[in-house]
Amino acid sequence: MLKDVIRAIDYSDCAEIALALFCVAFALMTYATMRLSRRATHRFASIPLSDTPEDPRDATKE
Amino acid sequence: MATAEALANDTNLDAGQPASAYSTPRMESFSYDDDICRKFAVATLLWALVGTAAGLLVALLMVLPTMFSGLQWLSFGRLRPLHTNAAIFAFAGNAVFAAVYYSTQRLCKCRMWSDVLSRLHFWGWQAIIVAAAVTLPFGITQGKEYAELEWPIDLAIAVVWLGFFGVNFFMTLVNRRERHMYVALWFYIATIVTVTVLHVFNNLVVPMGLWKSYSVYAGVQDAFMQWWYGHNAVAFFLTTPFLGLMYYFLPKAADRPVFSYKLSILHFWSLVFIYIWAGPHHLHYTALPEWATTLGMLFSVMLWMPSWGGMINGLLTLRGAWQKVATDPVLKFFVVGITFYGMATFEGPMLSVKSVNGLSHYTDWTIAHVHSGALGWNGMMSFGMLYWLAPRLFQTRLWSQKLASAHFWIGTIGILLYIVPIYIAGLTQGLMWREMDETGQLKYPDFVEVMPYVLPMWWIRVLAGTLFVGGVVLMVINYFMTWLSRPAEYQEPVFQAPALEKKTLPREQPKPTSLDNAPVLGFGKWFAGWQQMAWHRQWERLPVKFTVLVTVAVVVASLFEIIPTFLIRGNVPTIASVQPYTPLELAGRDIYVAEGCYNCHSQMVRPMVAETKRYGEYSKPGEFVYDHPFQWGSRRIGPDLARQGGKYSSYWHWTHLDNPQAVNEASVMPSFKHLLETEIDFKKVTDRVIAAHRLGAPYDEELENAPEMARLQAEAIAADIVSQGAPVSRNGVMVLDSQGVALIAYLQRLGVDYFKPAPAEPAGAEPSDTEGQPAKSPEADEAESTASKESDTTSLVSRL
Repeated sequence: MLKDVIRAIDYSDCAEIALALFCVAFALMTYATMRLSRRATHRFASIPLSDTPEDPRDATKE
Repeated sequence: MATAEALANDTNLDAGQPASAYSTPRMESFSYDDDICRKFAVATLLWALVGTAAGLLVALLMVLPTMFSGLQWLSFGRLRPLHTNAAIFAFAGNAVFAAVYYSTQRLCKCRMWSDVLSRLHFWGWQAIIVAAAVTLPFGITQGKEYAELEWPIDLAIAVVWLGFFGVNFFMTLVNRRERHMYVALWFYIATIVTVTVLHVFNNLVVPMGLWKSYSVYAGVQDAFMQWWYGHNAVAFFLTTPFLGLMYYFLPKAADRPVFSYKLSILHFWSLVFIYIWAGPHHLHYTALPEWATTLGMLFSVMLWMPSWGGMINGLLTLRGAWQKVATDPVLKFFVVGITFYGMATFEGPMLSVKSVNGLSHYTDWTIAHVHSGALGWNGMMSFGMLYWLAPRLFQTRLWSQKLASAHFWIGTIGILLYIVPIYIAGLTQGLMWREMDETGQLKYPDFVEVMPYVLPMWWIRVLAGTLFVGGVVLMVINYFMTWLSRPAEYQEPVFQAPALEKKTLPREQPKPTSLDNAPVLGFGKWFAGWQQMAWHRQWERLPVKFTVLVTVAVVVASLFEIIPTFLIRGNVPTIASVQPYTPLELAGRDIYVAEGCYNCHSQMVRPMVAETKRYGEYSKPGEFVYDHPFQWGSRRIGPDLARQGGKYSSYWHWTHLDNPQAVNEASVMPSFKHLLETEIDFKKVTDRVIAAHRLGAPYDEELENAPEMARLQAEAIAADIVSQGAPVSRNGVMVLDSQGVALIAYLQRLGVDYFKPAPAEPAGAEPSDTEGQPAKSPEADEAESTASKESDTTSLVSRL
């Protein structure tokens, strides 16, 4: 039975499904990224600039 | 500092967090473990010297193939994997580890989770590299590019990579003191997860003793898995960790934040989503199903944009700091490194386009592309990082800025001097191989006719390699002198910082929206909250969930290609006349793999006029069903061997193995005379047959009488060779007992089964799902005719 199922699959669809999956996921991530506020991105981008944990950037310490 | 109220109003940070969600944090003291960074930095430098020097050696062997007089341990086929492994896993690998250990601690504001695991990782990885350096020259190899190391070393890699490095890294993330995981850490997560998946699944083998194993995959499937691994090793070992390095060390060196954090996020997710699909572009026009290569090409082309997004993000990080670039060698290295990243990631998608690939594949063009990435991107980024780290790790000034600048210029000129002539050589090869004369015949039918045109380019490469190695030597001197001026005892600053709350944070609530009190469906209100993306912000600070999501992205993408390739039988139609190798041919195949013949010879005739005219009928998927591992190769320093069987007499092969230049003066093949002077261990042939049987080869009598059958075939071939003028023995080894005979048996078998009549099926047997036996072309008839005339082996094969 498994053999029949496997044979019945039109594997050429895989490429199209894969492309659709990618487009959906990518669009979602792009949208999520664009929603990030300027203040947040500035703070995140500044993380590597300081080795000292004077400002651990935990929300509780702000 | 922002107030809690202000934060609560910022939906993209910790919006909706009630102040009560956090308790008063406990202060903790800690210091960074820089000793482990020093170890990895020094190891990077030493392996850079070894890896590039090995590269220079193999470059020399290409122009002076007789340099070592046929000494087997120093042949091109054995040393080239040593060079690639040293460059990738030793040099680039240690650079990655130095970067990860230094930056992770600072981005997480905590020490690595376990000092013991850090050191086990360091010494374990160095031991693996030493094991590779010892085994590869001895011909101990799995015969798959960039995955040559045998199974015990592969097991060690898995333990060290995931058990020591991965566990230590992820536990550090779990125990970090910085809530947000900076984007460099995302790249490290993707690296650790994906390399583990790639390494494990590409190296599934059936062991035969301690130092020999056979891939569980065969032919087409093995090729697919290999390039799924090979391409993504480039992606997730040589790209993502170096991007993490770039996103940490470039802002540090320029003393300004990355140009666009949003772009870095998009860069990350794009690479994770796209890269994993692209592997099949390495197999255009091969026996891999076309749908897979088309999919690989499509995703490869899509890679261009995010890659350039990353490059632009890197270069624009230096906005307002370009005056520093003129004086700071670190930034110089970074700028050139990122520029080469842009070049290589433009060229990669271009090379994946089928029409371009048809010209470039198997030529030196690929080699130039690879070195543009490896030397330009990985090399320059590593050197820049090491120069930036030197004064910080050794707590003293860099010994000589001038020497660092000299290294930069010598290295940059070395890279350009390398890639430009090799691009020319690649184009020359591609164009000459396909050029036709006015009668429609190959203008350069003999493969070696291209050699006089490319040899000058290869000589320039030797000069370029000398320059690049010279630059590394300068850096070694600079590092050593800096180390000499270190303080008697390193200072280890102790920091204090509050721990992050261990308890699970309450799920972020989206801020009120204009739809809350509007007369709309509940779905609309839910969507208005959902689209604020607070859920995504949560992912970015939950390392376990983040890691799981990256793994899912990588695995799902892989399965979309792997499942059809493995389960749909129509992808690899069987050919009734293709039969398993004889015991002697199996032994010969092992020698072919051990000598690294795949480093110079492909076994894949592409369906192109120039190829079929030069080599014969194009290769079919069903011809490789007994090939564990596949040996399609990826470049042609010598001609393709897919239809080698019967093309020349066994005596010709014997003479050619002994002294290739005696057969063809322009040949750049080294002598394999040691094969003519080393005996086969016929007793071990049985184990080899059993291993092949376990992997699906339908053996019967061979399981019982493998040594006798092998000896019988060897006698026939030896008789043929001796009858044409070869001595009966050489240095006390009879021709019939020599390894050369086994290799010749294998070579004489290559590509001949396709032209044989299919064996009669027993009455009443169910018809098999086979590819129709082809109408024979004149070339095929000729090949078969030559085979029957010139080689007793072929007829013996039929009997066996």
